[in-house]
Amino acid sequence: MAHPAANQWQRRDFLGAAALASLCFGVPVAALALEKLPGEAVPSKRQQALLRIVSDLVLPRTDTPGAGEVGTGDFVLLALAHGLGGSADAVSPAIRSSLSPGITPFLKIDGSLRYADWLEAELDRRANGDFLRAPAKGRDVLAALDAQAYAKGMDGHPWRTIKTLILTGYYTSEVGASQELRFELVPGRWDPDLPVTAETRAFSSDWTAVDFG
Amino acid sequence: MDFDAIVVGSGITGGWAAKELTEAGLTVLMIERGREIRHQLDYETEMKSPWDLPFRGSGDQEMYRKLHPVQMLNRHFNEYTQNHFVNDAENPYATDGDTAFNWFRSYQLGGRSLTWGRQTYRWSDYDFGANKRDGHGTDWPIRYADLAPWYDKVEDFIGVSGQAEGLAQLPDGKFQPAMALNAVETHVRETVRARWPERCLTIGRTANLTQEKPDEGRGPCQYRSICARGCLYGAYFSTQSSTLPAAQRTGRLTVITDAVVEKLDYDPATRKVTGVHYIDTKTKQRRRAASRIVFLNAGAFNSVHILLNSASEAMPNGLANSSGVLGTHIMDHANTLSAAALMPGFEAHTSFGNRPTGVVIARYRNMDSMDGQGHSRGFSFQGGAFRSTWTAGRRDAGIGADYKAKLRQPGMWRMVLVAFADCVPRATNRLSLDRTRTDANGLPLLKIAFAFGKEEHAALAQAKAEAAEMLQAAGGRVIAGGDTPGAGGTAIHEMGGARMGHDPATSVLNKWSQAHDVANLFVTDGAQMSSSACQNPSLTYMALTARACAAAVSMLREGRI
Repeated sequence: MAHPAANQWQRRDFLGAAALASLCFGVPVAALALEKLPGEAVPSKRQQALLRIVSDLVLPRTDTPGAGEVGTGDFVLLALAHGLGGSADAVSPAIRSSLSPGITPFLKIDGSLRYADWLEAELDRRANGDFLRAPAKGRDVLAALDAQAYAKGMDGHPWRTIKTLILTGYYTSEVGASQELRFELVPGRWDPDLPVTAETRAFSSDWTAVDFG
Repeated sequence: MDFDAIVVGSGITGGWAAKELTEAGLTVLMIERGREIRHQLDYETEMKSPWDLPFRGSGDQEMYRKLHPVQMLNRHFNEYTQNHFVNDAENPYATDGDTAFNWFRSYQLGGRSLTWGRQTYRWSDYDFGANKRDGHGTDWPIRYADLAPWYDKVEDFIGVSGQAEGLAQLPDGKFQPAMALNAVETHVRETVRARWPERCLTIGRTANLTQEKPDEGRGPCQYRSICARGCLYGAYFSTQSSTLPAAQRTGRLTVITDAVVEKLDYDPATRKVTGVHYIDTKTKQRRRAASRIVFLNAGAFNSVHILLNSASEAMPNGLANSSGVLGTHIMDHANTLSAAALMPGFEAHTSFGNRPTGVVIARYRNMDSMDGQGHSRGFSFQGGAFRSTWTAGRRDAGIGADYKAKLRQPGMWRMVLVAFADCVPRATNRLSLDRTRTDANGLPLLKIAFAFGKEEHAALAQAKAEAAEMLQAAGGRVIAGGDTPGAGGTAIHEMGGARMGHDPATSVLNKWSQAHDVANLFVTDGAQMSSSACQNPSLTYMALTARACAAAVSMLREGRI
C-alpha cells in the first residue's frame, strides 16, 4: 500500500481537475470525483497528463471539444482502477506472447495488466524517449500503436481496452453525448422511419445500440 | 394479526393476488422480503444522464464482482438499475455438482415487476398440450379455453400494445395500438413471410402503454426504454404502477416490507395452513400472522423454498409434498443469440425514440407436423434492428478527426435474433434445501440442480441455422451466432417446482393452483408451471393468479375452505 498522504494528495489533485472541467464544460463534479484508490492504482501526474493527451489524440477538438478537454483522461484512470471495460480480466495468452517481453513487467499476479503503466512505457518506447515531449510525433506514435492493436488476430490487445474506455469517457460526457452526438433522455414519441439528412447524428441515448454496438 | 388472506411476495403475481382478493372484499396482508420502493418518489436514477453518475452508467465493476457477481451478468443490471437487484453476497444460494445457474433476483416492493422485460404473450393449446403429446412431464389440467377469459381480464388492466396476427400458436389478445416496426424490421417481416408463410415476424407484445389509462393514473410510454429504472409516468406495468394502487384503493390491504417468510404452519386435523412465520430482516425478530387462505407469490424458487422449509411431522418432506415431486421439474428457457447480422441497403433510413420492445418471430416448428430436428417442442425468436452508435468504434482502427467524424454518423443497421426454446421438464432438475449452510436469517440455503439436455441443444441448433437463413434471405450478412444455451437462469424465466397436475400422487397443485394436500394454500407464481412453452411466462402467471383468486373466493364463500 502507498503512503496514505500520497493517496490524499492524489485525490485532491483529481478533484482539482474535476472542478476545472466542471467550470469549463458544465460537467458535474460528481461525475468525475475519484474514490480513494488503492496504492497500486494511484496514477501519477504524468499518467494523468498522458491520458489527457492520448484522449485528445483519439478524439480531438473539431467543432466540438476533444476528449481530453472534457476530463476523459481522468475517467479512463478511474475506470481502469475499477475494472471497467474488462480491464480487470487476465490478458490472453496469445496477446501476452505477441507483446512479450515489453508487456511482462506490467502484468499482475492474476494475469491482468497495469494499463496506465504499460501505456506510459509503451508510448515512451515508441517515441524513443519522452512521448509527452514529442507532441508533433505523438499522433504518429499513437497511430502506429493503434494500427498494431487492430491488426488481424490482435483481439484483446491492451490498447483496444484503453481506447474503448476513451470512447466511453467521451460519449458519456455531456459534451460528447449531447453536443457531438444526439442525446434525448425523454424522446416522447417513436418515429419508426425517418430519412437521414446531412444533419443526422448518431444517438448517444439509444441504449440498445449502445449495448449491442 | 388475523387477515382473510396472506399474500407472500409483491411482484408480478403477488400484486395481482392482492388486487383480486381485496377487490373481492377480503382483508389482505402482503409480506415482502425487500425494502419499500414508492411509485414515482423512489426511482432515484430514473432521470439521470450518464454524466451524472460516477461510472457513467457502466457501474463500478470492482464492486460488482464482490457484491453482485451473479446479477452483473444480467444485461439489464447497470449503474442505473443496480439498486433494483439483489446483493448476491447477502443473498447466497447453493448449486449442485456441475450446475451453472444464474439466479437474477429483485428483492424489493414490486419485485421483478420493476425490472421485467415486459414481453406479454398468451400461451396456446400447443403449450398446454405439450406434456401430454410428447410424454415429458405431467399433463396440464387446464387448456387454453380455461385461461382465455383471464388473459382478457389481465391484458385489459395492465395494458398491452401489440399487433393481432391470427396465429393459433400465439393467440391474439386485447391490445392497445401496436408500436411500429422500423424500416429494416418491416423488410425482414415481408421477406420472411413471402418465402416462409408460416413464419410471422411481428412487433413484440409489450406491457407498455401506447394509450394512457387516466382512471388508473397511468400515462403513455415516452419511448425512453429505460424501464428498469422505474417509470414515473406509470407507462409500463409494475406492481407499483398498477396492481398495488388498485389494492390500496379498497382500504383492505396491509403491506409489510423487510420481512422474509420463514415457514407456514400446518394443521393436519383440518388439512389447512394456520399461520405464516416471518422474520423482520432489520431487527431479526420473528413474528407470526394468521389468515383463512395463503397465496404464495414469492417467485418460483422462493415459493418452493418456503414449502420445503415448512416440513412438519405430518408432512416431513415439505408442505404440500405428499407426492414427493415438490422442487422437481424446474425449468428455464434455453436462451442464446442465434444470429446477429449487418443489414446493408437501409443507410438512408433512421428513426427517433427508443421503442421499449423488439420484434418476435412466433414459434413455427412442431405444431401440426413434428418437424423439429431432434426436439419435439417450440422455439421462437426475439430481437430487432437498430443502427449502431459510438460503441461500434471499439472494433474499428483509427484515431483523430476522421475517426471522430465517422462516429458522429449513424452506424450500420444491425439485426439480432435471440432464441428462446422450450425447456423439457425433468425430475433431475430440482430444488432442495442445503442443510449445511444458512443465510443471514438462519434459513437453510436453497440448492439448485439444473442442466439442459439434448432437446434444448437440438432446438437451439435448428434456431441458429434458421435465424441465419432468414436474415440472409433479407440481405443480411451474418457476423455472429450461437447454439449453446446460456447457463440456467439466463432467460430469467425460472419456473416449476410445484407443478400443477390432475393427480395428487404426481403433482403439487390442482387446476385452481391450489395445493392438492392443503385446501387453503394457493401457489400462483412460476412455481406452478408444468411446462415452459417458449413464450415469456409472466402474462400466464398473472392470468392463473386472477383465476385462482376467483376460485379461492368462491370456495371461501361456499364454506369449502
